[in-house]
Amino acid sequence: MKDLKTNAEITWCEGCGNFSIFTAIRNAIPLLEQKGFKREDIIMTAGIGCHAKIFDYLNLSGVYGLHGRNSSNAEGIKIANPDLKVVTFSGDGNGLGEGLAHTIFAAKRNQDITMVLHNNGVYALTTGQFSPLTEQGWKGPSTPRGSIENPFNAISLMIEVGATFVARCYSGDINNLTSTLVRAIEHEGFSFIEVIQPAVPYHKWEEYKDEIDNLDNEPYSKEEALKIAREKHRFTIGIFYEETREVYHKSLYGTLNPVKESLSREKRLEKINEILKL
Amino acid sequence: MMINDVFTFLVGGKAGEGVKKAGSVAANIFSSLGLHVFQMDDYMSLIRGGHNFSVVSTSSRWITSQYMKANLVINFDKRSCDMHIDDIADGGIVIYNSDEVENINGIGIPLSSEAKKYPLKKLMFGVGAVAILASAIGFRKDQMNQIIKEQYPSGIEDNIKFADTFYDMVKEKCHGKFLLSDGQKRRPIITGNEAISLGAIAGGLNTYFGYPMTPASSILHFLARQAENFGLAVVHAESELAVINMAIGSAFTGARSMVGTSGGGFALMTEGISLAGMTETPILCVLSMRPGPATGVPTYTEQADLSFALSVGHGDFLRIVASPGTIEEGYYLTAEMLDLVWKFQTPGILLVDKHLSESSMTIDLDIGKATWTEPKMHQGGDYKRYLDTEDGISPLLFPPSKEVIKWNSYEHDELGITTENAVMVSQMHEKRNKKVQALKNYLKNKKTVNIIRGEHSTNIFAYGSTYMSVLEAIKYGRLNPTIIQPIYLSPLPIWELEEFKDQDNIVVEQSISGQFSTLLSEKAGIKIKTTIKRYDGRPFDPIELSKKIKEVLD
Repeated sequence: MKDLKTNAEITWCEGCGNFSIFTAIRNAIPLLEQKGFKREDIIMTAGIGCHAKIFDYLNLSGVYGLHGRNSSNAEGIKIANPDLKVVTFSGDGNGLGEGLAHTIFAAKRNQDITMVLHNNGVYALTTGQFSPLTEQGWKGPSTPRGSIENPFNAISLMIEVGATFVARCYSGDINNLTSTLVRAIEHEGFSFIEVIQPAVPYHKWEEYKDEIDNLDNEPYSKEEALKIAREKHRFTIGIFYEETREVYHKSLYGTLNPVKESLSREKRLEKINEILKL
Repeated sequence: MMINDVFTFLVGGKAGEGVKKAGSVAANIFSSLGLHVFQMDDYMSLIRGGHNFSVVSTSSRWITSQYMKANLVINFDKRSCDMHIDDIADGGIVIYNSDEVENINGIGIPLSSEAKKYPLKKLMFGVGAVAILASAIGFRKDQMNQIIKEQYPSGIEDNIKFADTFYDMVKEKCHGKFLLSDGQKRRPIITGNEAISLGAIAGGLNTYFGYPMTPASSILHFLARQAENFGLAVVHAESELAVINMAIGSAFTGARSMVGTSGGGFALMTEGISLAGMTETPILCVLSMRPGPATGVPTYTEQADLSFALSVGHGDFLRIVASPGTIEEGYYLTAEMLDLVWKFQTPGILLVDKHLSESSMTIDLDIGKATWTEPKMHQGGDYKRYLDTEDGISPLLFPPSKEVIKWNSYEHDELGITTENAVMVSQMHEKRNKKVQALKNYLKNKKTVNIIRGEHSTNIFAYGSTYMSVLEAIKYGRLNPTIIQPIYLSPLPIWELEEFKDQDNIVVEQSISGQFSTLLSEKAGIKIKTTIKRYDGRPFDPIELSKKIKEVLD
């Protein structure tokens, strides 16, 4: 089996939180293989932004899509071949700005995909503008007097709209991130992991370290999960919510695999004849 | 009495009075007699009220248009009477609802007051229209009742009673007025969108993604109904942005994917179509045009998105654009386009319009003519998604595979890894560009233009549904020009058009700026004498169009 790292030159800044996510996913895949998953069945998609560079570095198959559209690519992959496990990497601007509708609808449908949201709280690649998760008052090139919008709460938002596995992780805790990734990918349904990670030109690790705290227990109900997600600090780490709900592709067509069980030409023509029969 | 061996039935009323259904039943009656049929439904963008009409023309020969001079006109309300005052053929009969209008020419019947006696009320109007038609074409009551039973199965007894009332009421003035000769063969009737859907299925379709937008929605509806039967995944997504990007993801797994929309939705898809160009994703998009710009006139027809389709998406990449000239060709061409986009790994656009999408006609399909072949596949060894080959076409490989398969929206190297290297950037541009010539070479051995040779020295160019209008106008006017319908619009098959360049050429199209004329003159150097245009949202009428063509020919 080939290495999980490609030969591509890594262009993340030294000390970037993205390295931890890259390490954690490379740790998670062998663990998933031990559990019976096949590496070739794990497919990735990515949007555009610093998060998405992982597509070039991680030696997995997939689609490097457009800004914000990566979860739609992931949904299309899953719908066409439900045997594949799809992980979609997204930034906070990518997934909750340009791609907000797609993220919410993938959760609403309980698509069996995992979204890893690299939350660095800023549009890093485009030089530091405020993102949908940036605290009010951020002085970036598009908001020289400070940003005037309140941020989303990604965790309560995703629980509300129908994600069936919702967690927050911290790029400073690779072990926890690894085990959460394993659980998220194993989970049948829409899994959402917000990963708090510094983009070092804009935020220092020190800003996070003291702020990080852990959930005491996994909440026992959706209402409880929402309450805790709303009340807890935005750097509270843990699995906020998990439930079992039928996944989209099974509701759509049961046990079919549209691409693997494609009807032969002869069968198709026979059935078309039937439709046109007088 | 009948125009050119054509009998035309027109029924008009409010939305919700069963106008379209009555038109379909009429079409079925004609086809059951072995006749050819063309049905056009004119409706407004609303659920109740307004004015709808259905016009059905039939003949013992192939007929490719509705006629707006009807032999039998049935008006359910006053608005219909006003609207269709000029739509009556010489010797035609007008039947109107005397509960709504008084003192006009024609035969008044108390539709509303009779219908009030039944629980279905206004929904009965269509049954009444069918009864009048049955009488006018000389059907016996038992023949009519059989049709009513088959076509209006809910409340059969009431329906038959209602039909009988009007059959008897108009008998004296109408019965047997329009005896139709029996035709040779009973044929199925389908809409253009049904032909496109079936063609896609015959071409190996696995997944369809759509967002409702007239006049493309009925593809989504038809395929959703047929999904289980054919093992398809059919998805109504949250937006056209999601639609195109889901389809691209789906194609990555090897699934033959199609999307469908109209101008506004197509505008949202442009970003994704460009992604398909860069990632070399095989994807077929049906663009069914309606009058624009913006929301325009949603339920009517136009051909003004041609230049948009030809240049859709940012950047240089190969776009295949083709347009069927008839409903039957809609079936064959959809299958062929699906095959082509997989052969050349690029986006394709099947360009149609409301008139072709939503009109119905009798068809003689050779369904087996739709074929597909396996695309170029990886033959083992190390895999490079964007391997630079002689014709620019890289072998495909689908997951799951031990080999890594990377499709990339950034400029990339052969492995699909992002690059900004100047040499690689130009090499990849050149690799993709090689497919342009490869496609042209391939199409040179294919039928890319329909040409009907005539005696007259003038040629008429038309594409899409306008081709059907031109064919009918020529037949009606007994004119004899050469008719040229390019099936492929990008690449435009200029190798087939060379001989016409300096001849007398007329273009017929539905665009105020003459987009098709511009394409012909710019790309193929065709000298154009006159462009006959219509841009009021309505399809050409063969009688009017033949007059206009005749003026130019003389």
